[in-house]
Order: sequence, then structure tokens, then C-alpha cells
Amino acid sequence: MIGTIQATETVKLVLGIGEPLIGRLLTYDALGMRFREVRLRRDPKCPLCGTSPTIKDLAVHRNGAGGACDVSADGHGEAVAAAVTPKAGG
Amino acid sequence: MKTLKDMLAEARQVVPEEGPAEVAKRLAAGEKIAVIDVRDPDEFRDGHLEAATNISRGFLEFRVGTAVSEPSTPIVLYCQTGLRSMLAAKALKDLGYPTVINLQGGYQKWVQSGLPTVRDVPLTADQIQRYSRHFLLPQVGDKGQRKLLRSKVLLIGAGGLGSPTALYLAAAGVGTLGLMDGDTVDITNLQRQVLHTTADIGKPKVESGTRTLKALNPDVNVIALPTRITVDNIMDIIKDYDLVVDGSDNFETRYLVNDACFLAGKTNVHGSIFQFEGMATVFAPGQGPCYRCLYPTPPPPGLVPS
Repeated sequence: MIGTIQATETVKLVLGIGEPLIGRLLTYDALGMRFREVRLRRDPKCPLCGTSPTIKDLAVHRNGAGGACDVSADGHGEAVAAAVTPKAGG
Repeated sequence: MKTLKDMLAEARQVVPEEGPAEVAKRLAAGEKIAVIDVRDPDEFRDGHLEAATNISRGFLEFRVGTAVSEPSTPIVLYCQTGLRSMLAAKALKDLGYPTVINLQGGYQKWVQSGLPTVRDVPLTADQIQRYSRHFLLPQVGDKGQRKLLRSKVLLIGAGGLGSPTALYLAAAGVGTLGLMDGDTVDITNLQRQVLHTTADIGKPKVESGTRTLKALNPDVNVIALPTRITVDNIMDIIKDYDLVVDGSDNFETRYLVNDACFLAGKTNVHGSIFQFEGMATVFAPGQGPCYRCLYPTPPPPGLVPS
């Protein structure tokens, strides 16, 4: 299900048609057979794409674990993260 | 009697001109504009702006409605040198289209400015049949199918997510699919990873994946990358693709793909699943948030089973 959604989004992006899932997180619950949509906003404090980024190359990834552990968590993004637990599987 | 010079001068009174750089800037910014190439089909086939629809001058008034569904959409017209399209633009102004712009210097100046063009390779008889259902969709059509055939998509992971994504993209006629996975097929994969078959157990996933995709659609150029994505290879690999699909199964890779795509300006089509739940989103640099906006730091080990 998720893979076919990714394929559909890819085709839309290539063709430049429709409304892609930019800034929207679509969650899928197979047992309840429910989709939910969570609005995502850019975080101005994001260490990568925020207003004063600290990640300017891939050096952080040389420390393992996404290198992200040395980035201080100051609470931003928690509201969404609490609503949607990250999924580990592929 | 009016001379050609008079007619052009009259047209210039009502039709503004923009140079190639200005039009390229509008297109790069994703502005909703309709670009119409008014040259003859054989001129169009030899090379044109990627965004352009070909309606030769003689048919312009008859067919403009098919290319421009909303009359208030700004229309950019061009021909070879900018003269035919100037007169064509005047005709559209007379029809009542409010914003009609002539590409100053036409296709010739566009090419001289070093801006990108595309050349249509004729579709084969098989391709015309294979993609006939796409041609029926006004949002895809012949133009969209050519775009798909020219596009290059990198799939990171040929597993649970990558399998269906790869199959559907290959079927749709995405011209180049990079298939990246360092694993071999295990019997426990087969209950969900539909790119691989029982006979493939023990083989590299990109090998069985390539065979399945080529069997589905021989048009697709599958680039097998039998390796894990790492900090050392990612930038060099993604630079060759228009778009990245993240079908990876671990957080380390996801942060790496996110960061590399952002730094390289590539859109990342993200998906992840766990048991009966899944999520999907698109991270487009400069247009929306990234994975780190959503999850600033990886979850502590043990919180989320991997």
C-alpha cells in the first residue's frame, strides 16, 4: 500500500500534476483500514533546512546512527512525533 | 494594405516580450504558465522547450483551449525566431486571453542562451500500444509519457516498499530506474517483497529485481546498484537522478537519504512501514519540511523495533 502510494507520488512529481504529499504526512492503519493526514510544517530550528542550519554536509553521518544524536533536541517537532511514531521497517 | 512590418509593430503594442532567461526563471519557480510552440511539428520534433505543447500556427485558435483550460493562465508563445509567435500572440490577445507573452528571439535565442531543450524520439508501435491508456488521460498524454520515459528515479531498497514501487514505476514507463540494495533474497522476504521469486533465494535482490522489471517492461533501463547506500557513495549516486524514493528499513539510512537529498536539491519520496501501519510523505527541498523537521533526532535504540 505505502509502496504504491510512493509510486503514485513519484509519477505525479515527474509529470508535475496534482497535489503531491509535500508538507503532508499520510498515515495508514491496515487493521482499522484508515488513512489519516497530518499537516507538516518546516521547522525554522531544523538543523538541516532551518534558518540557521548546523548540518551543511554529510560529516555528521560519519559518527554513525544518522549522526543526528549530537543534535540537541529542544522539543521542536515533538507534537507531530508524539502523534505519529516513526516506523522502522521498509 | 498593411505590410508585415506594420502587423508586427501593431502586435508589439499589445504583446509583451520576455527573454529566455526570464521565461526560464518562471518555469524554474514552478509558475503555472502554458508554453506553446507554434512551429510546425517537424521543427518541434527536432528540439523544443520541455514545458512546451506544440500547436502549429495554423491550428492555434482551434486548439488553444485544449492546452490552456483556464483562460487567465499566462501563455508564453514561441517560434523559431520570435516573429511568427508575435503574430500568433496577437491573435490570442484578440480572442481575449488576458496574458500572452512572446518569447523574445524564439527557440533560436533560447538555445543560444544555453538553456535546456528536449528532442522527441518517436515512440515505437509497441510503446504506442503499451501506454495507450496513459494517452487517454489528459494529465498524462503523449507529452507526459515522454516525460516519464526521460525521467530517472533512484529506488533505495528493493524490499517491502521498493518492490511495489519499482513494479509500478517500471509499468508506467519511467525510463531509468536505479535499483539499489546490498542484500540477497531470503525466503522470509518472499511473503511481501514481490519483486523476487522462490528461484531467486540467495541471489542479490538487485539481480532478481532487474530481471522482474525488464520482463515487465523492456523499455526501462534498470541500473542495478548491489550495494548499501553510505555516506561515501550517496552524493555521487543521487546526482544522476531526478528523484529519490526512500524505501529503506532503518533510521540511519533515512537520515542519510534525507540530508543528502536536501543538500543535492533532490525530492525524496519517503515511505515507511511497521507491522500493520505505514506512512508516506514527500520531502521537497525549499518547498516543504524535511525528515529532520518531523523527527529532529533518531528515536532512542529500543523504543522502536527495527
